[in-house]
Amino acid sequence: MSQSISVENLRAWYGDHLTLKGITMELEANRATAIIGPSGCGKSTFIRCLNRLHETIPHGRVSGSIKLGDEDLYRMDPVDVRRVVGMVFQKANPFPTMSIFENVALGLRIGGVRSKAEIIERVEKSLRMAALWDEVKDRLREPATALSGGQQQRLCIARALAIEPEVLLMDEPTSALDPGSTLRVEELVQALKSSYTIVIVTHNMQQAARVADKTAFFLNGELIEYADTAIIFTKPSDKRTEDYVTGRFG
Amino acid sequence: MKRVSSRSKIADQVFLVATGLCASSPILFLLVITGIVVVQSIPSIRLMGWDFLTSVTWNMGSTYGAMTVKNGVPVPAGASYGALPFIVGTLASSVIALLIAVPISLLTAMILAYRVRGVVKSALSIVVELLAGIPSVVIGLWGIVVLAPWVSSSLGPLLTHVGWVIPFFSGPVGTGMGLLTSGLVLALMVVPIITATTRDLLEQVPILYREGGIALGMTSWEVVRLICLPYIKEGMIGAVALGWGRAMGETMAVLMVSGSAINYLPQNLYSPISTMAAVIADQLDSAMTDASHMAVHALSELALVLLVLTLLTNLVARLLVNRSRGTRRAGMGVKAG
Ligand SMILES: Nc1ncnc2c1ncn2[C@@H]1O[C@H](COP(=O)(O)OP(=O)(O)OP(=O)(O)O)[C@@H](O)[C@H]1O
Ligand SMILES: [Mg+2]
Repeated sequence: MSQSISVENLRAWYGDHLTLKGITMELEANRATAIIGPSGCGKSTFIRCLNRLHETIPHGRVSGSIKLGDEDLYRMDPVDVRRVVGMVFQKANPFPTMSIFENVALGLRIGGVRSKAEIIERVEKSLRMAALWDEVKDRLREPATALSGGQQQRLCIARALAIEPEVLLMDEPTSALDPGSTLRVEELVQALKSSYTIVIVTHNMQQAARVADKTAFFLNGELIEYADTAIIFTKPSDKRTEDYVTGRFG
Repeated sequence: MKRVSSRSKIADQVFLVATGLCASSPILFLLVITGIVVVQSIPSIRLMGWDFLTSVTWNMGSTYGAMTVKNGVPVPAGASYGALPFIVGTLASSVIALLIAVPISLLTAMILAYRVRGVVKSALSIVVELLAGIPSVVIGLWGIVVLAPWVSSSLGPLLTHVGWVIPFFSGPVGTGMGLLTSGLVLALMVVPIITATTRDLLEQVPILYREGGIALGMTSWEVVRLICLPYIKEGMIGAVALGWGRAMGETMAVLMVSGSAINYLPQNLYSPISTMAAVIADQLDSAMTDASHMAVHALSELALVLLVLTLLTNLVARLLVNRSRGTRRAGMGVKAG
C-alpha cells in the first residue's frame, strides 16, 4: 500500500543559491500529482529532494522535513529512502553495459533477492506493468541500448517498479519521446496510480490535465497554487497560475 | 592582383619541411632504436636460439681465455646466455606491483572523482602527480633504507603465516632485498599513473547513469562497481597495461632493491631477483670487457625482449583505451533518441 508524502517548509540550495524557498504540500497516496511551472522554477530540484538525490550533487543542501506516512525521510538512510521512492528521469538512462533483463533485475539483486525464479518472475511482472513485455520478451539478453528511446524510457519505468517502491517520481518522462510513446507512458501512469503515489513533472499542460488528479504550480522556487487539476486549469485562484496555464508566460 | 612575396613562399616551404621532419621523428626514433637493438642482438640470437628465453644460466665465459666457436659465432669459452630468471623477475615483480597498485589506484581514483571536491580535490590530485615525479633513484634509496628492512623484519614474517595456504609465501624472508620489495617499490611508482588515468575515466561516466544507480538505492560502492566499472572496463584495462609497461621498464629503483640475483629463479616471495632492465644497466660495464662483444649482444637481446614486451602492452593499452572511447561516443549518439 502506498502512503502520502507531507512536505513541510522544504528549502533547497545549490551552494549559496536558495532554489526552493519553503515548500509545504501534501502529496496524496494513490494519486498522480503534476508539478508544472516555467523552466528553472525548481520542479526538478523539488522532486530530487523527495528521493534525497539533491544532496548527492556538489554543494546541494536541504532543510525542512519530508514525511512518508509518518516516517521522516531525512532521518532514514538515503539508500533505504530510494528503495521506497523510485525515480524515472527526463532522459532515458538504462545502464548501457547491461542487457534488458539485467537492467530490471539489478535492483532486485542489490536488494538481496537471490532466488533466480523469483527474479525472473518479478522482471517479467515489471516489464508487463511498464507495457514493454510483449516488445522485448524475445530479446531480453540484448543490450538495453538496442531499444528505441520510448522503449528505453519504459524500461527505466520497469526498472523503477521492479523493487516495488511506494512512490514513483517522474521528471518530464516523456519530453524526449514521440507522441505514440508519450501516450503509452501516460496510460501507464493512469494504470499505476491506483497502487503508487506518483509525482510527475511536466511542461505539457495537456499531459497534466490527462494524468494528474492534482496539480501544483511552481514559480521561482515557490509553490504558488496547489489544487485539483481541473481547478488549476479552469478557475485558478492566483493570477500568475492563470497566466501560466493560459500560455501568457513561461 | 597582389602577389605573395617569394620570401614568404620560401618560409612556407621551410615550415612544411620542418613540421614534416618533426612529425615523423617519433616513428623514425622508434624504427632506429628498434633497428639498432635488433641488429645488435643478431649474434646472440644465433648463439642461443630459443634457449635465450628458456635457459637459466647467464655466463660471459672466461673473457681472458681462448675463443671457441659455437653455432658459427666466436665466443669466450663457457659463455652462455639464458635470460629466463630476468624475464621471470620482470614479470613477477611487475605483476606483484599491479596486484598491489590496482586496488589502491581504483579506490584513490574513486575518491578523487566522486568524493572530494574543490580545494581538497586539487590538493589530492597534485599530490598524486607529485608522486609520479619523484626520481626513481630516490624511491630506490627509500626502498633500501626503509622498505627492505621493514619487509625483512615485519611484513615478510607476517606474510609467511599465509605460507601454509600458498607455499610461495613461506620463508625464509632474508634481507628484504628481493621480489616483494621490488613489487612494492614498483607499485608505488605505478599508482600515480593508474590513479590519474582511472580518475579521468571515472569522470567520463555520465552523471545520468550514476544517478540512475543512486536512485535505484545503490550505495556509492555499488554504483562504482556495478555501473561505473563496467562502463570504463576497456579503459581500465588500458590504464593497467600502461602501468604494467612502466613497471616492466623501470630500472634504477628495482636495481637498488632487487637483490641482483643471477642464474637463479625466485623460490619464494622474498627471493632476490633481477629484472631485464636492471641487468642491462648493471652489467653493461663488465660486458664491454668481452672482446667478442657477445656479452653486449646478449644484453641487446635482453633489451629487445623488454622492448617487445613493453611495446606490446602499450599497444594493447592504447587500442583498448581508444576502443572504449570510440564505442562510448558512437553509443551515445545512438542512445540519445
Ligand atoms: N547542478 C546545479 N548547480 C547549480 N544550480 C542549479 C543546478 N541545477 C539547477 N540549478 C538551478 O536551480 C534552479 C532550479 O532548477 P531546476 O532544474 O529545479 O528547474 P526546473 O524547474 O526543473 O527547470 P526545467 O523545466 O528547465 O527542467 C535553476 O535556477 C537552476 O539554474
Ligand atoms: Mg527540470
